[in-house]
Amino acid sequence: MEYSRPVFQSLLTRRYLTSKVMPLLASAAVMLSVAMELITWSVMGGFLEQLIQSGRTLMGDVEIARPQRGFGDYEKLIEMLEADEWIEAATPTIDAYGLVKLNDTPQQLTTTCRIKGIDPESFNRVTGYFDTLYWKPIDTPMPRDKDREDPRLDPAKREMFETTQRLGQELFGYDVGAQSDRDQAVLGIEVFSKRGLRSEAGFVTDDWVFLPGKDVTLNVLPIDMSGGFLEPVARKLQIGNEFSSNIYEIDSQTIYVPLDELQQMLKMDRAEIVETGGPIEFIYDNAGNPIGRMLPEVVGVTPARVTSVLVRGVGDHIPLRDLQERVKEIYTRFESQSEHAPPVDALDVLTWQDRNATLIGAIKKETALVLFIFGIISLTSVFLVLAIFWSMISERTKDIGILRALGASGPGVAWLWVRYGLAIGVVGSILGGILAYIVITNINAIHDWMGATLGIMIWDPQVYYFARIPEDFNLTKALIIVAAGIVSCGLGALIPAWRAARMDPVKALRFE
Amino acid sequence: MSAIEVENLHKTYKLGKVEVPVLRGVSLDIASGEWLAILGASGSGKSTLLHLMGGLDRPDAKSGGRIAYDGRALGDLSANDRNQFRRDHVGFVFQFYHLVPELTVLENTLLGAMIRLGRLGYLREAGKLRDSARELLGKAGLSHRLGHKPAQLSGGERQRVAIARALINDPPVLLADEPTGNLDQKTGAELLDVFETMRGKTERTIVMVTHDPKVAQRADRVVEMADGLIRQTTPGGSVGV
Ligand SMILES: Nc1ncnc2c1ncn2[C@@H]1O[C@H](COP(=O)(O)OP(=O)(O)O)[C@@H](O)[C@H]1O
Ligand SMILES: [Mg+2]
Repeated sequence: MEYSRPVFQSLLTRRYLTSKVMPLLASAAVMLSVAMELITWSVMGGFLEQLIQSGRTLMGDVEIARPQRGFGDYEKLIEMLEADEWIEAATPTIDAYGLVKLNDTPQQLTTTCRIKGIDPESFNRVTGYFDTLYWKPIDTPMPRDKDREDPRLDPAKREMFETTQRLGQELFGYDVGAQSDRDQAVLGIEVFSKRGLRSEAGFVTDDWVFLPGKDVTLNVLPIDMSGGFLEPVARKLQIGNEFSSNIYEIDSQTIYVPLDELQQMLKMDRAEIVETGGPIEFIYDNAGNPIGRMLPEVVGVTPARVTSVLVRGVGDHIPLRDLQERVKEIYTRFESQSEHAPPVDALDVLTWQDRNATLIGAIKKETALVLFIFGIISLTSVFLVLAIFWSMISERTKDIGILRALGASGPGVAWLWVRYGLAIGVVGSILGGILAYIVITNINAIHDWMGATLGIMIWDPQVYYFARIPEDFNLTKALIIVAAGIVSCGLGALIPAWRAARMDPVKALRFE
Repeated sequence: MSAIEVENLHKTYKLGKVEVPVLRGVSLDIASGEWLAILGASGSGKSTLLHLMGGLDRPDAKSGGRIAYDGRALGDLSANDRNQFRRDHVGFVFQFYHLVPELTVLENTLLGAMIRLGRLGYLREAGKLRDSARELLGKAGLSHRLGHKPAQLSGGERQRVAIARALINDPPVLLADEPTGNLDQKTGAELLDVFETMRGKTERTIVMVTHDPKVAQRADRVVEMADGLIRQTTPGGSVGV
């Protein structure tokens, strides 16, 4: 079998490769398409990965949700959830829609928002909330902030930022204006758009409107147990801090407030159910004068309610679907023990990815689409190899005749060309992989350089929230793309090789 | 060492619908160790005959005749066996040298051995093969040219490399198609000296095709070919010039 005896093939492959311009061009084309595919995949994949990680820091892994009406006895549910070995932490939250007005500014900015009532301590355990707080002292500047202009780096402001950090972590604290402790709100950093306020390095300047310390007025519409609207409720809170999750949709719409505050506003706090409609009974003093009214008879209690419980799994390795199933099981058990809990089908138990399926799906589709387009472009390299080989084989018809006259078989000659194609593939793809590695690991430097010299800023940190382009070079992806590059070159060489194998040796020798 | 029988060989080319008979019943008996020259005008079918003898091509399917080496008929061999037969039994030398331009003199010489032995076999014997390639090239007067590319050699030198390449596997049969056809007289004569040297003690059978009676003279025996047939057989050295 000649296929396993490739000694003349390997010698000729080496010589052909180093002695002609065409194969070098082919290798260069392969290199570029491999590098392009890999860079795209890595950057888009890195972007998606960051997004998913950010998502996890927003709602943990799994959410039990019953919008609007919510469910009671959640403390018991959380206890049961946290007792499970797969579950790291669980936290109650309320989601409501409302209006937010920024006081103390001439514009009196007002915008709609999602108001989220949270218990900061357990919310942090589930979502890593504390890390998203924006106004806190930092020691290392953001990657592009070469001149250390970020106000959070300023030692003179350290104490102030320690205060805002504490306010954000407790959602409660001292208000200078009111001279007393009061509830605090934490706004998504883009709620009152900061686009114009970001520096080129991506940090937010603190001089124009520094929100912490200002007041906001929140307006919500509570609904009653039957789903009807009640009187709107307004409440003034101080902005304790802002948070940045890196996802614009979230940062531009979300406001965190203390859970109990929102429960009160939405009338979701614990309430006694009284018998109404009976005759009014007064209480009299010894002299017979009425001094008060008998309280109506309490016939029951509606417990405080929340609209969702967020759950975080232990570690990173429990598959989301399994965790989701486990949470459903626990909820079912909980529901059978609680008189206030709705059945499991009356609420949603969703993973973060389910909740944000459209967003993640869109980015996944985009990645797939770009890869597909580049894949088609890469097909060009297959045809390039094919075309180059076709012409090279015509050029080397004589060589084929000689090899056949010396006793090489048809498949042996074919293997020479396939091997040659593979060699071009190996050289081109590995160089492409190396090029991609260099570009990916320096993509921000390259991007900065493009910005500085050509004025091109594709990834504008004033628009995007990841201040840096993801730089993760993934070895598995690299191996897949490099292997695909090699295989496509082999495929490109296959047809010309077949032609060479079928060539009549006598005609090849007579060929002028 | 090999005796060759050629019996009533027919070869017809088809050019569209026209049939061109090139060999029309060639018969030859070549003794083992004999140097035979086939003399004929251009277009008389010499190359065609040589290709058939080397198993590169096949005679007509219908009553195309028979070629046998020591009684073993080529027609009975499968395609693979014919490749193997070429590797092991036959060395080819062509008018236009047909060296691979990218390979050095030494590599061109070793090409036949690489094809015959495959990777493992070749690597196992690489040292020995290099020695015998050097020896062959030495006999051809090319010791100082081992690392040169064909483009750096003269025609005569190239043809000497081609001879060394044909002989690297020490084949019992050497088929030479106008080996001096592209060389001037003096160089041609020198080349035939190399043939003489290379014939060696192994009693190699040589079939050499030429249109030049002077060249044919160097052989032991000369047959003349015309119109696809062997016309006349003369002992070497007695052909009129
Ligand atoms: N593939 C082919 N198709 C048609 N005619 C061919 C082919 N090969 C050779 N011939 C013809 O066969 C005849 C003999 O050719 P060849 O054997 O090369 O002669 P020589 O080597 O004696 O010059 C020539 O007339 C040539 O044109
Ligand atoms: Mg000829």
